[in-house]
Amino acid sequence: MSGWYVFGVADAGLAVELEGLRLVRAGQLAAVVAPVDPDEFTEEQLNDRPWLEEKVLAHEDVLSRYLREGPVVPLRFGAIYRQLDEVVELLGERRDELTEDLERVRGRVELGVKGWVDRGRLEETLARKRAMSPTSAPGRAYLERRQAERDVAAEASALLADVARSVHARLAELAVAAVANRPQPPELTGRAEQMFLNTAYLVPAADEALRREVGTLDEQHRELGLSFETTGPWPPYNFVGREEP
Amino acid sequence: MRSSVAERPRLEEQLTLLELVDRVLNKGVVVTGDITLSVAGVDLVYVGLRVLLASASTLDRLAQEPKAKAAA
Repeated sequence: MSGWYVFGVADAGLAVELEGLRLVRAGQLAAVVAPVDPDEFTEEQLNDRPWLEEKVLAHEDVLSRYLREGPVVPLRFGAIYRQLDEVVELLGERRDELTEDLERVRGRVELGVKGWVDRGRLEETLARKRAMSPTSAPGRAYLERRQAERDVAAEASALLADVARSVHARLAELAVAAVANRPQPPELTGRAEQMFLNTAYLVPAADEALRREVGTLDEQHRELGLSFETTGPWPPYNFVGREEP
Repeated sequence: MRSSVAERPRLEEQLTLLELVDRVLNKGVVVTGDITLSVAGVDLVYVGLRVLLASASTLDRLAQEPKAKAAA
């Protein structure tokens, strides 16, 4: 059984057929496809990590190569059609939406920003700032210390929420569009620091302003135990698709 | 940036992979193909997370190794 895997949609006027790939054209749109064995794409396979890694990397690789030549609208992983005619139909049925997406991302790329916190260091810093006063009675001192710890933890959480909000707002000013995603849990990141900001920005392709600003923010917050980093440029995964699924 | 498959991925590459999986599986335009993995009753979001969680022990191990680049 044969099938066609659809990676994304490019500008028919700019895109060329790269090695191992085909373009399915309909008006201004060109779907980037490759022949696949649909039987290989099963739910079980999704739990096979090396397989998933390979396919996910291939998906990204194809989109990145097309991104160099012109705008590209990424499709979500795993869209497979039996017939090329059906891909033509897809482009026809979703033409307005796909064209809108294509124009929105033209000449632009996605940058990812992550904010990390060394929670222990942040709380230490906050505790120092409070300049906890020593008390005489040992019993009271203990209770006060416990209370202070709780206060510091709450203060740290509030500060992180504030910083996340203000950093996102600041960076959004430098971007055409901005998206805040949920921070990834430590089980996934495998990092000692906790992720407290996970955002994406659509910026002009050659524009370094946002990356520079992230560097500045990183320096400004380091003393508190916070750090920021930029990833990408990515194909604009976060800035296509009409509705948030 | 990408290691050969034979090489053991470093933490940084693991994080890049996580970024990638997060985007490729969870973002992008959703279409209904003849075969669309997400409509088969399994949400890709959770599939991706489950696969990555399964490898969390690898990540833990890598995280404890001295990092090649100084983390901020």
